[in-house]
Amino acid sequence: MMSFGVMRKMKLLEYKGKELLKGCGIPIQKGVVVDSAKDVPGAIKDLKAPYVLKVQIMAGGRGKVGGIKFADTAEDAQKICSEMLGMKIKNIVVKKVLIAQKVDVLNEWYLSVILDRLNKCPMVIFSPLGGVDIEETAKTRPDKIAKSAINPLLGVKDYTARYIFKKYNLDNAYFEQFLVVLKNLYKLFNDYDATLLEINPLAITGGGELLAIDCKADIDDSSLYRHADILEFRESLDENELIVSARKFNFLYIPIDDSGDITVVSNGSGMLMSCIDLITKIGAKVGAALDLGGGATSDRIAEAVKIIFSNQKTKYLFISIFGGITRCDEVAAGVKLALQSGLKGKTIVIRLEGTNKAAALEILASIGDSVIPADSISDGVKKLKSRRND
Amino acid sequence: MSILIDENTKLIIQGITGREGTFHSERMLSYGTKVVAGVTPGKGGQDVFGVPVFDTVRQAGEATGANASVLFVPAKFTAEGAYEAIDAGIGLVITIAEHVPVHDMMGVYHLAKKSSSLVIGPNSFGVISPGKSKAGFMHDSIFTRGGVGIMSRSATNCYETVFLLTNEGIGQSTVIGIGGDMIPGSTFIDFLPMFGSDSQTKIIVMIGEIGGSDEEIAAGYIRSHINKPVIALIAGKNSPRGTSMGHAGAIVSADGTGSAENKEEKLRQSGVIIAESTEHIVQVIKEMQ
Repeated sequence: MMSFGVMRKMKLLEYKGKELLKGCGIPIQKGVVVDSAKDVPGAIKDLKAPYVLKVQIMAGGRGKVGGIKFADTAEDAQKICSEMLGMKIKNIVVKKVLIAQKVDVLNEWYLSVILDRLNKCPMVIFSPLGGVDIEETAKTRPDKIAKSAINPLLGVKDYTARYIFKKYNLDNAYFEQFLVVLKNLYKLFNDYDATLLEINPLAITGGGELLAIDCKADIDDSSLYRHADILEFRESLDENELIVSARKFNFLYIPIDDSGDITVVSNGSGMLMSCIDLITKIGAKVGAALDLGGGATSDRIAEAVKIIFSNQKTKYLFISIFGGITRCDEVAAGVKLALQSGLKGKTIVIRLEGTNKAAALEILASIGDSVIPADSISDGVKKLKSRRND
Repeated sequence: MSILIDENTKLIIQGITGREGTFHSERMLSYGTKVVAGVTPGKGGQDVFGVPVFDTVRQAGEATGANASVLFVPAKFTAEGAYEAIDAGIGLVITIAEHVPVHDMMGVYHLAKKSSSLVIGPNSFGVISPGKSKAGFMHDSIFTRGGVGIMSRSATNCYETVFLLTNEGIGQSTVIGIGGDMIPGSTFIDFLPMFGSDSQTKIIVMIGEIGGSDEEIAAGYIRSHINKPVIALIAGKNSPRGTSMGHAGAIVSADGTGSAENKEEKLRQSGVIIAESTEHIVQVIKEMQ
């Protein structure tokens, strides 16, 4: 969900993505989401055994690490579900499990629509070899991946599907169904400001039906103001507390490396990345970064500092501000305010340039040796290195 | 010379009656920019610091002969505003709002490509040709006139570089904020030919970042078309890429495109000097003086 520059996107859990698919007429398995094992018998009473249980976490590749299991009876389903809830998969605690009717799969295809940066347009990607090894297929059998750039002013046409069917000699009996899935997926992509919608696998069932077995969806964060249901979904997520607290103040908090003891703060993602590059070069590890955005006041700076040090692993704070809209003395006053509220054993290296720099330096000098002013980014990195080696 | 804008550029400010629009109109005027018109629907007939306000871009263009427009409008109205400027035949359209939905920009991009307009941004600080004109909200006091042409995906890294250059007495011809969004209206490849043929520009600086393939594409052009020194900084080597849970991203970039290593390698092969930091960019240029 959090990344640098470019764009921030909201990732949807499988069940939410499937809800969107269903809403636009793409067939999915019958299923329910539970967050408590005791609800299982009631929740699945309308489903037919056997069942498939899938943990709902923000990570791919869960099937290979025990995140997907099958159950023949309702009792088994409840037992497996109780084991799944609360377990840690890929370092994420499982809070929700999707239980669906297991389907008889004859064949697995791969279908996605992605926003292609190179051509600045949507791209449909199809493979007749869907399933978990699709990335391997892309490397070893590129001929089995068909990419079709879509002119956004035209949209997806029948011939896009026809090309795919001819290229891979697919059974025409599925053509009409495939066309419906493709066109609806493309419509969903536009209607929901998606940057990725992926169905993998798109299964052909024993009953001759195309069915979306799994769904990954990324929605452009900048568009959430026009997607109330996705905002609501985000509220329901159990996100990193620091990200949530930072967002309240319009800061962007980006976890980087759990083992890092340095957090970097700046007023733009470009400088953040530059600082991280220089700090990494001295062999230190950056744990997180926080983007203040423009025009931060001392109160907000103080909040940012407090949020950062509420992560106990953070021992060093590296601040680099080039004050355009942001005033240097406000930043310095904010740092002082935060430290006065009782932060012990922490070091702040701070480099300020721009409006009211002299006043800022005076404030910093009055704080004491937990604050190290620097003349430039490289000077700051040097001072950070020598303090860490003390 | 300089590129894109100069003392003869006639600029429209879309959203001139808004808080940001008004504030920066005054700054652009005092910098010497020829701001000839403002546009705010429903406010036609008013004026802001003596600049006449029109209801539509087309009217503003017809009345003043404006050839550039900068949009001080919120993200959700940016696409609409850009469409209007492109449709009115304005040659240079600069969009500065952050958080413009990428699907909106996809529409703007494809419309612009079929028109004679060049769109810059969104999420751009604008364009400045120091000593001549500025269209945007950059802190103009750090810029000085000179021979270094700069284009940057990051505002902060760009300011930093300009500040250090000016401190060393090295000026700039034109400085362009490309903006860090996924679909910028224009990028390195669009400005390289202009910098290449601009007589004022002696050295070209490009500040890129991880992600996308704009730097790789620029490298291909530089190799066969640019005879001036080019210095590049690629930020974000040690930052997490915007990874996706899905496989599609990995399928599309299976060739390694987008990583800092790939960008640097391609640029180096084209004779571009790779800088390790903003300070290093300035050091390299200093040694060339």
